[in-house]
Amino acid sequence: MLRFALTRILMSVPTLLIVSVSVFGLIRLIPGDPASLMLGDLATPASIADLQARLGLDQSVPVQFGIWFGNLLKGDLGQSINSQQAVLPLILQRFWISAQIVLVAVLLASLVAVPAGVLAAWKQDTSLDLSLVAVATLLLSIPTFWLGLLLLLFFGLKLEWLPVVGYVSIAENPLAGILYLVMPIMTLFLHEIGVILRMARASTLEVLRLDYITHARAKGLTESAVLWNHAFKNAFGPTWTLIGLVLGNLLGGIAVVETVFTIPGLGRLLVDSIFARDYPVIQGCMLFVAFTYVLVNLVIDLCYPIFDPRVTAQ
Amino acid sequence: MKLPAPNALVGGALIGFLAIVASVSAVWTPYDPLRLSFRAKLAAPSAMHWLGTDEFGRDVLSRLMAGAATSVWISLLTVALAVSLGTVIGLFSGYVRGWVDRTIMAFNDALLAFPGILLALGLLAVVGANKYGIILALGIAYAPSVARIVRGTVLSLREREFISASRVMGNSEAFTMLRHILPNCIAPLTVLATSMFGWVLLAESSLSFLGLGVPPPAPTWGNMLAGSRPYIGQAVWLGVFPGLCISLTLLGINLLGDALRDKLDPRMRGAR
Amino acid sequence: MNRLLVSAFALLGFASPTMAQSITVAVAADIRSNNPGVNRDDNTDDFALQLVEGLVGYNEGGVATPLLAEKVDLSADGKTYTFTLRQGVRFHNGAELSSADVLWNWTRYMDAKTDWRCTSEFDGRSGLKVESVTAPDARTVVMQIDKPNALFLDTLARTDCAMTAILHKDSVKADGSWDKPIGTGPYQFGEWKRGEYFTMTAFEGYKSPAGGQRDGYVGSKRPLLKDVKFLIVKDPATVKAGLVSGALDMADILPSDAVELRKHPKLAVAVEPNAVRHVFLIQTKDAVMGNQKVRQAIAASLDMDEIVASFYNDLGKPNTSPIYSGSSYFGEVEKKGHTYDPARAKKLLQEAGYKGEKIIILANKRPVVPSFPAAVVAQQMLQAVGVNAEIEVLDWATQLDRFNKGNYQMQSFSFSARFDPAIAFEQFSGPKDKQPRKTWDNPEAQKQIDKLYVTSDRAERQKLVDELHKRVIDEVPMIFAFNGLDIIAHAKRVQGFKPWQSKLRMWEVTLAN
Repeated sequence: MLRFALTRILMSVPTLLIVSVSVFGLIRLIPGDPASLMLGDLATPASIADLQARLGLDQSVPVQFGIWFGNLLKGDLGQSINSQQAVLPLILQRFWISAQIVLVAVLLASLVAVPAGVLAAWKQDTSLDLSLVAVATLLLSIPTFWLGLLLLLFFGLKLEWLPVVGYVSIAENPLAGILYLVMPIMTLFLHEIGVILRMARASTLEVLRLDYITHARAKGLTESAVLWNHAFKNAFGPTWTLIGLVLGNLLGGIAVVETVFTIPGLGRLLVDSIFARDYPVIQGCMLFVAFTYVLVNLVIDLCYPIFDPRVTAQ
Repeated sequence: MKLPAPNALVGGALIGFLAIVASVSAVWTPYDPLRLSFRAKLAAPSAMHWLGTDEFGRDVLSRLMAGAATSVWISLLTVALAVSLGTVIGLFSGYVRGWVDRTIMAFNDALLAFPGILLALGLLAVVGANKYGIILALGIAYAPSVARIVRGTVLSLREREFISASRVMGNSEAFTMLRHILPNCIAPLTVLATSMFGWVLLAESSLSFLGLGVPPPAPTWGNMLAGSRPYIGQAVWLGVFPGLCISLTLLGINLLGDALRDKLDPRMRGAR
Repeated sequence: MNRLLVSAFALLGFASPTMAQSITVAVAADIRSNNPGVNRDDNTDDFALQLVEGLVGYNEGGVATPLLAEKVDLSADGKTYTFTLRQGVRFHNGAELSSADVLWNWTRYMDAKTDWRCTSEFDGRSGLKVESVTAPDARTVVMQIDKPNALFLDTLARTDCAMTAILHKDSVKADGSWDKPIGTGPYQFGEWKRGEYFTMTAFEGYKSPAGGQRDGYVGSKRPLLKDVKFLIVKDPATVKAGLVSGALDMADILPSDAVELRKHPKLAVAVEPNAVRHVFLIQTKDAVMGNQKVRQAIAASLDMDEIVASFYNDLGKPNTSPIYSGSSYFGEVEKKGHTYDPARAKKLLQEAGYKGEKIIILANKRPVVPSFPAAVVAQQMLQAVGVNAEIEVLDWATQLDRFNKGNYQMQSFSFSARFDPAIAFEQFSGPKDKQPRKTWDNPEAQKQIDKLYVTSDRAERQKLVDELHKRVIDEVPMIFAFNGLDIIAHAKRVQGFKPWQSKLRMWEVTLAN
């Protein structure tokens, strides 16, 4: 187990290296550069060259990478071109905001959707199953920004229950902070229910058809005992993997929700930096997201054998 | 002769209708979907324009019909690309194991760790902002999820009796893989592919929302929905109808996918 | 239930619509820094210029006028400017302004380490060189330039130079690094939470320039609001929702929302034209676009009224001149520009031997500029006369890159505000082989523009402007379509606000309860 964890951690080093190199290269392949964006239509070739030199962008890409990577090893992710803030504290501050939303939404969604998915599978082809699947499918198919906007119009404008714009940190003002997070969390929660419910149902269905379930039933165990002792545990494995995928994807996809609700999270930081070609922030964000993702997957994989004894950790 | 399952019926009907609309749009739409009308901007649904007009006075129904073909085509191609790419990688990686597997998975995880937005932006900028760019970008972005799931299935199947049996019987590795492991991947892949169809439709509209979608003025449901946001207060129909189209299509695809999986499941086949 | 929650918010201090004399203004982007003229964009300048002031500033008509100076005298040879400072002006920390502060600032600005945006405008690299700055006494500053220049004061007043703001030296820490702006402006810097908001509070000791009326950056500038919070809200739909709910008191809105918000009982919408010019750029080096007749045909095929309406609905008017409609140089000649004549367009295309070659119009979808809607409408009109026009949508950074490289056939683009006609023309005119971003490469015209730079005589300048305008209309190196509009929605209780050149001037604004 320990060896498995260590191997996995070592294995993630090349992953992160690949991410660093490709992000570094990819963003420099994209046309447009921070210097000309900052100068806009006022730029003269001389002023752009000036600014590029000041930002260290006049050197060749490998040299720039070498400098950046050297600093990275020292734990320095550099400084934002736009705001001139240090990148790492900036990312951590924004990440904390996004993480609150994503974790709470996925946790709540799993709590609702996994049991509901198992239930639907258990009662396959009944009207309960059909309606659960229909609800899940509908939730899944509403774009988050549309859903978010509908919530905003309804709870924010029509009922005036929740604040419409802005963000207050929970640390500063817990009550107001929570109120600001309700709608973004609700949006993601509703969306993810659809995703997780369907996967939980599918995995349970799979397991329910397996021989040992038939066997367990033949042994005369009650349906609920079969469901909980055998089906649920085994179906949780694939669902668990999916939750990992969902978490990882959400970190990238949350930008949309953060934009609708004007939440200064990591997703918005990344998208804004892409549009502003703020290279150090993009590189930092991507590496950070990749790192978090690798970490989440490691935890998921470490837990996998617990749920699925057929896979031996090695 | 058994009647098809209700989900197959409803799903089939929805998708059938979509297919008909998409085909009809190739030869006929009530108005030219690109035709501007300065006098009929943001007109509410009426006898003239059944689903109203948009901010340029273009007929929403005509655009929805034309968009059906584009959106469905983009999503299908993207899913096909992601699934075939991912399956090949996942099967190979899960079956060979060892350092090859570890290397492939390192790349896979690296790709997976890219938020789709950046990958799409990067690739779109390099390939050019058109629908093939979107297909390529999203196809590559989603392939790793497929690879991971296929590899997971392979890993858990390897230990099963019928795989060892196949090997003991002297079947080649490739044969075992194609004959016994691939069919077992179909169920989880069908579920994934149908969800992915939805993801792609949504990803396309999210990209439009963030300003990176399929270049308008060619209509897709995604960019119609994204373009409707500023007008939500004055012209709800602009967003409601594309949103409804996306939702209904996904509903149809998912129902059909479920029905398909029930049919294709290899263990069900063995039981019959 | 909702009443209860709403009052709970008020207690929490959320957006505090009930707090007297404080208002919340939505802005689309964070400021880049609070260091005036250093690491900036338009939004940053707007905030900085509430806090700091320069010797001269623009008046409503875009003419550089004394601000911290009481008067400016020019020597007969046109090379010596004498600034007499106003008496009793104080910095936010209470210190009194003197000529020594001006010298300190000038030294700081000319130091390459400061990174002032406009250093190159004054050290000779852009043609103008300030040879010496001296202070004969505490109230007098003398600036000596190398040769006469009609735009010296204008350059000092430029908003992107942050008006060459005079700061107190405590704005900079002992080690020379930037701390925070201590200026002489009507408001003083409050706090800044990056990515969330920035604030300013009234400067009680502010001494307003003479003149009872508000006038651009000069005139009466009393800070009548206690404090102002600028909240960063990117999404226009959210902005609209915030205005309607009362969480926001003021915001820049999309033209498409103007009609709806005007109907709201608690909101008012103010509309003023600005000096931004929305244009269709043309690459005259392109094989197809190189043909003047094709360009003239394109200009004739565009129904400008509809193009304006595509973005501004009925709020805007076309202006096909490079000179913005509010300029004092915008006269009868400038009013005559391109006319919509599809028949003539077809004829010109035929004469040009146009055979349906594809013409791609680049556009971006930033919601605040008409780039995309204008391109859609233009495409339709071009197709109507037989031009095979297509639109390619890019993200803004990519489009700007293509602009800087000159790599395009047509672009739906916007030129940022320029007040003086000389600078307005310089913005797009010049040799393409040296500066690919230039759209108009005509040596003869360039000579006239150079003349505008040194000529101070008003009538002489107008004549040059008229000639240049006519040339642009005839040669069609690009097509000017219309000027920008500032469309600001605000709560009706916010009184006395007037948008001016996209700046949200908070002085002379009051709050009725």
